Amino acid sequence: MNFFKRAWLNVWAKKGRSVLLILVSSAILMFVLAGLLIQSAAVKATSQAKADVGATVTLSANRQAAFKKMQSRTTSSKSSKMTLTPVKLSDAAKVAQLSNISGYNVTSSTSVNASSYDTVSMSTGMGSSTGGGPGGMKSSTSTGDTQIDGVTATSLTTAFSNKQSKITKGRGITAADKNTNNVVIEKDLASQNNLTVGDTLTVKEATGDKDKVKLKVVGIYKASSTSSSAASPMSTDPANTMYTSYTLANTFKGSKYAGTADSVTFNVSNPAKVSSVKTAGKKLINTSKYSLSTDDASYQTVKASMDNVEGFANKIVWLVAIAGTIILALIVILMIRERRFEIGVLLSLGEARWKVIAQFFTEMLMVIVVAVAIAGVGGKFVGNQLGSQLVSQSATTTQTTSSSTGQPGGGEPSGNGGSGMRGGNGGPGNTSQTTKQATDTKLEVTVSAVNLAELGGFGLAITFLSIMIASGGILRLEPKKVLIS
Amino acid sequence: MLKTEGLGYWYQDKDQPLFQGIDLEFDVGQSYAILGHSGSGKTTFLSLIAGLDKPKEGDIKLNDRSLKQIGLTNFRRHDVSIVFQAYNLFTYMSPLNNLLTAMAITDAAHAGDKAYARQVLNDLGIGADLAERNVQHLSGGQQQRVAIARTMCCDAKLVVADEPTGNLDEDNTKEVIQQFQKIAHEQGKCVIIVTHEPDVANQCDHQFRLENKQFVELA
Ligand SMILES: Nc1ncnc2c1ncn2[C@@H]1O[C@H](COP(=O)(O)OP(=O)(O)OP(=O)(O)O)[C@@H](O)[C@H]1O
Ligand SMILES: [Mg+2]
Repeated sequence: MNFFKRAWLNVWAKKGRSVLLILVSSAILMFVLAGLLIQSAAVKATSQAKADVGATVTLSANRQAAFKKMQSRTTSSKSSKMTLTPVKLSDAAKVAQLSNISGYNVTSSTSVNASSYDTVSMSTGMGSSTGGGPGGMKSSTSTGDTQIDGVTATSLTTAFSNKQSKITKGRGITAADKNTNNVVIEKDLASQNNLTVGDTLTVKEATGDKDKVKLKVVGIYKASSTSSSAASPMSTDPANTMYTSYTLANTFKGSKYAGTADSVTFNVSNPAKVSSVKTAGKKLINTSKYSLSTDDASYQTVKASMDNVEGFANKIVWLVAIAGTIILALIVILMIRERRFEIGVLLSLGEARWKVIAQFFTEMLMVIVVAVAIAGVGGKFVGNQLGSQLVSQSATTTQTTSSSTGQPGGGEPSGNGGSGMRGGNGGPGNTSQTTKQATDTKLEVTVSAVNLAELGGFGLAITFLSIMIASGGILRLEPKKVLIS
Repeated sequence: MLKTEGLGYWYQDKDQPLFQGIDLEFDVGQSYAILGHSGSGKTTFLSLIAGLDKPKEGDIKLNDRSLKQIGLTNFRRHDVSIVFQAYNLFTYMSPLNNLLTAMAITDAAHAGDKAYARQVLNDLGIGADLAERNVQHLSGGQQQRVAIARTMCCDAKLVVADEPTGNLDEDNTKEVIQQFQKIAHEQGKCVIIVTHEPDVANQCDHQFRLENKQFVELA
């Protein structure tokens, strides 16, 4: 392999030129690596987002069917009351058996009246605009001053999983609190009434025989002001919301509500499978009574944001690779012109043209190997800079798109009476919530062995292509013209 | 050994060939000088017998095999060694590496033999010190001696040189011609030198003059 030795002698003898070539190649490869890094970071972040954000399928009463029924009844007879069938937990258990469902949360809400304590009154003047109240789904008989949110576990609710609400003392409601009178109350309510973990308080049922019930405080939570002002019923201060086991909420509602729920939210382990879970779930339930709705908006927002970054990184990689190939090819063409004499001497000695090309390729390869190492060090820096820039940029873009489109059933602020149709579904404040998530998603940029291997591959391809493009000059070169003048 | 049969060449105009119908024969162990006016076509002729270009007419045969059959690259690699007026060495190498590279490319018997290459250089007055330096730091005479050493190291039986003494002074010229005589008589090769210096031509075994599109042998 004589051309190998010649390549080495040449690279070594012309150090200045070699260093310049290394610098140019490093610059090109650094951009390629930056693209590759953002690309792989985006892929990682997307799968992380899948795990973090998750998606849900919610089983609830079919409002549309109920509304139609009510309308037809209004025209024919006198009754105009819209009746909603509560979700039977036995039906929910069937849906929970589907694959890709990692767990579920039962929600049953109602209201009670304060007995042993005082409720927190609204400091703002918003109390007057009571409108339609907390969407129809919250108990139809809710007239009390204290909102009771019965759940399987507080950690499974959106407010807590989104970190809008936080347990500050004691613990949250868990599945073990089933059939107990344990309660988690808000910090403001607790301090106003001097209540702490371990204390008891008494409430008075708002319906039925209006019994007084003693509740035991097991935890205190803090509701963030942003989430509460949007997500809670307008009529009461968010501090008046208590979390209990859904079984207790059902007890407050009355005996016929035992074993039911307002809605059951299933966590889908793979957000990409949401629609197939929904389809499979629909086969298990009576769709005239129940409806299954999906909420993967958070996932979709994060995914869209990351897809943006990924697509952009893809474009960077290819653009830089193409531009780099062209630049290197031009440099090699110039280099070959400058070295026509040397090539002529080689040809006059009877060297095969492909070996001359092989020599140039080897020389460039030596340059690229060093350049890959340099780019590996520098690319991390460039990638970090670009990565943070890109995420903040795409987060703002997705925010504008999502708020302008509006989430189905989510974006509408609750309020005017007619919105009982859709207001409660999914809960308001969806948009603000998801963008928060997207901004929180960081692109972690680290140079892995895979990245370096990819970079090496690109370097090799760029070198190979540029030599191929430039080798036309070698193939056409006539030694006589160069050597005899 | 080398024969031209009805050899003819022209650049643009077929009606104005540089030479035409040339039948010559060159043998091993002999040295030949080719003289002629500037522009008469000496270099062009040399490029044909060196396998750097193809004849427009006629044929060139090495031991009765046409160069077309042998293939020009193959012919250049194994059968001919060229010495140019401008030395044509690899400028990024030392004299030693120039010789080693040429020997490797031409599959010479001594390929890879550093000691042999050093010896040949030494015999031509390129000592151990000069042999490891970059060739660009050598004088013209020294560079031409490296080029001759390269020819000596390779096994090609045909050696062609185009004005090899054109850039050299009297002493160096004498020295270089002596070496060519050595190559012809001691190494048993066929040496063909293009020159316009009668002194150089006089030292060769045979002299030809390119005149009126023909080669005329001088007594
Ligand atoms: N590539 C070419 N294209 C066209 N004409 C050429 C080319 N090369 C040489 N010629 C012409 O061919 C003729 C012969 O050129 P050549 O170089 O063979 O002459 P020469 O005998 O070696 O002259 P000199 O003694 O000056 O070196 C000249 O008139 C020259 O101008
Ligand atoms: Mg000439």
